[in-house]
Amino acid sequence: MKIQIYHLYPDLLDLYGDRGNILALSARSRWRNIEAEIHKVSLNESIDFNKADILFIGGGSDREQSILVEDLSKRREDIKEAIDDGMVVLAICGGYQMLGQYYQTGDGVRIPGLSILDLHTVAGKNRLIGNVIAELDTGASLNTIVGFENHSGKTYLGKGARPLAKVLKGYGNNGEDGFEGVRYKNVFGTYLHGPLLPKNPHITDQILKLALERKGFNGELVKLDDSLEIAAHQAIVKRFVGNN
Amino acid sequence: MKGIRFWFALWAGKIAAILMKMMGRKATTFPGVIAGKIDQSIINHLGMSFKKGTIIITGTNGKTTSNNLLAAILSAADIKVAFNREGANMITGITGALLQNTSFFGKPLADILLLEVDEATVPVLCKYIKPKMAVITNFFRDQLDRYGELDTTVRLVMDALPQETELILNADDPLVTRMGIGRNNAYYYGIKNLPDSSPNSNETREGRYCNLCGEELSYELFHYGQLGLYSCHNCGFRRPDPDITAQDIKPEEDGIVFRVQTKGFADNTGELFYLPLQGYYNLYNGLAASCSAMRLGINTEAIRQGLKSFVSDAGRMESFVLDSKKVTLTLVKNPMGFNQVIRTMINLKKDIRLLIAINDLAADGRDISWLWDVNFEGLVENAHNLKKIICSGLRAEDMALRLKYAGLSESIMEIQHDAETAVKILESQAEQEDAIFVLPTYTMLFPIRDILSKYKTSKAQDKEVVGA
Repeated sequence: MKIQIYHLYPDLLDLYGDRGNILALSARSRWRNIEAEIHKVSLNESIDFNKADILFIGGGSDREQSILVEDLSKRREDIKEAIDDGMVVLAICGGYQMLGQYYQTGDGVRIPGLSILDLHTVAGKNRLIGNVIAELDTGASLNTIVGFENHSGKTYLGKGARPLAKVLKGYGNNGEDGFEGVRYKNVFGTYLHGPLLPKNPHITDQILKLALERKGFNGELVKLDDSLEIAAHQAIVKRFVGNN
Repeated sequence: MKGIRFWFALWAGKIAAILMKMMGRKATTFPGVIAGKIDQSIINHLGMSFKKGTIIITGTNGKTTSNNLLAAILSAADIKVAFNREGANMITGITGALLQNTSFFGKPLADILLLEVDEATVPVLCKYIKPKMAVITNFFRDQLDRYGELDTTVRLVMDALPQETELILNADDPLVTRMGIGRNNAYYYGIKNLPDSSPNSNETREGRYCNLCGEELSYELFHYGQLGLYSCHNCGFRRPDPDITAQDIKPEEDGIVFRVQTKGFADNTGELFYLPLQGYYNLYNGLAASCSAMRLGINTEAIRQGLKSFVSDAGRMESFVLDSKKVTLTLVKNPMGFNQVIRTMINLKKDIRLLIAINDLAADGRDISWLWDVNFEGLVENAHNLKKIICSGLRAEDMALRLKYAGLSESIMEIQHDAETAVKILESQAEQEDAIFVLPTYTMLFPIRDILSKYKTSKAQDKEVVGA
């Protein structure tokens, strides 16, 4: 069994320790004897999204993000088709915003996004910065996600999209409606970096499991010793929202 | 010109500092806050009063060490220097330092003023003070939560520096040299090649793309990060020919030997220098100080003496001897600085024992995602030398997790939140020959330094840290 992970524009989008997300996906595959192949995709490089099991898009600085919106829009149809077919996507911060309808700048100009997800982003006056703890609705024993956010765009979900989690601490999508991130088919969009996956092993495993299921594997993932991951996760939960 | 408010502000600030000292408190920022509240322009009056002018030093890494090296060189040349203390590099801290170096009668107590200035403070400071000279060391990612993003920081600094200010720039950093474009008062320092410079790089680096045209920069040689010999094939932007260049660089047990070549003397072999600091990043700090001193008219001999007699600063590759074992304390605050420390440790080719203490308070940077951009994988590749890593600080678990995903065996890792216990465990397990390093972020530095001072058995190189 081999998982193909496509990392979009790591040269341009490599803020906030995003490398950690790729490290977590590959390590947690490797520890289960599943091979994970990482493909770093650069601008103008031709790729066949049908071969991708997991697509990862991170965040970058404004200047670098504007360079790649153009490149990304050329790939829009391919990405949409793959998502409809069940490709697993993890999109963080800028990558998350780009999957939506548009980004409205401070001057009211609407920069079109890929329009794959029913959401849009509006430039805010202040940056929303800090630790985030948000609650999932899985009912599992590890029922929170933790991370750090740093964004000025405020994202609003439309009717066709549901949030990833409910904010317990921090701002989340827009600091107003109490939601964080988006879930649509096998797409995960979020503002959480820090990075997200090492400290949220349940999300990492869910991503791996969805990718494997799409390839026809329907068993349970081998259980790993996550005591360190959970200790790091709970240290933050305990510090910022107390014991639950 | 100096109104009644000025005198009130000066005296209030000075009296506040005296009172705080009497109460045994560190008067780092409070006197500056008081004085600034009474007369906002006091920073202008005081900052512009020094005979030989004001020099500012900014950039991500090396501000403190470059500043202190320059102070050492100027002192060796009998120039009376005033400077701000480490950490007091925002407006209130700088005002505090000015008050301290001004008499009750408003006269400066030194010939020249050296200020290390936080990058985000440069625009505010330049509204009040027109520096004679600005030294810019480098730009790496650091505490993104405080400044937005690196791009913004570079632009803020570039736009703020007055045209008349002479610039001393790191030629090897493309993010720094763009400051010198179109100016005839920019001077450069650089390194020809380091023993481990390479034509390829796999480090996380900034400024990959040419700032002028957007093309990817080409490198003949990478020193580390984005520092190296670069050029843009598209628009011709390239590393400027440095005014002083370090070459023939040889690391020694406690320092670095190198030759300095001055532009215009192509056939000389270069003067031999010794810098008593470990880590190649400190060579850049030495060059920044030497280039500034040269532009201030200091002769080569005084520069050589100033560098040679330098005693390392608190928490900058500072040595302690605990039970006849040498422990090195050095601050870590961003990926590139951390990578350089890792490289320095590996080059020692000894058994390595580490205490890494990561906090996430405002002064440390609240976002600790930078730990994932540090090349711990490079450390783990030398696992046969790694004997122990203890993780401490508010983010001890995050640090341990980072090491786990770098491939480090959990058997040599330990989480110990109590820093004093951590130091004791580290020391008691070590052999005399081991390379023992203690690597704290900013708010852990002084607590750990106090612990090391408490347990140290020899007073090899002591330096007064707290000035006032």
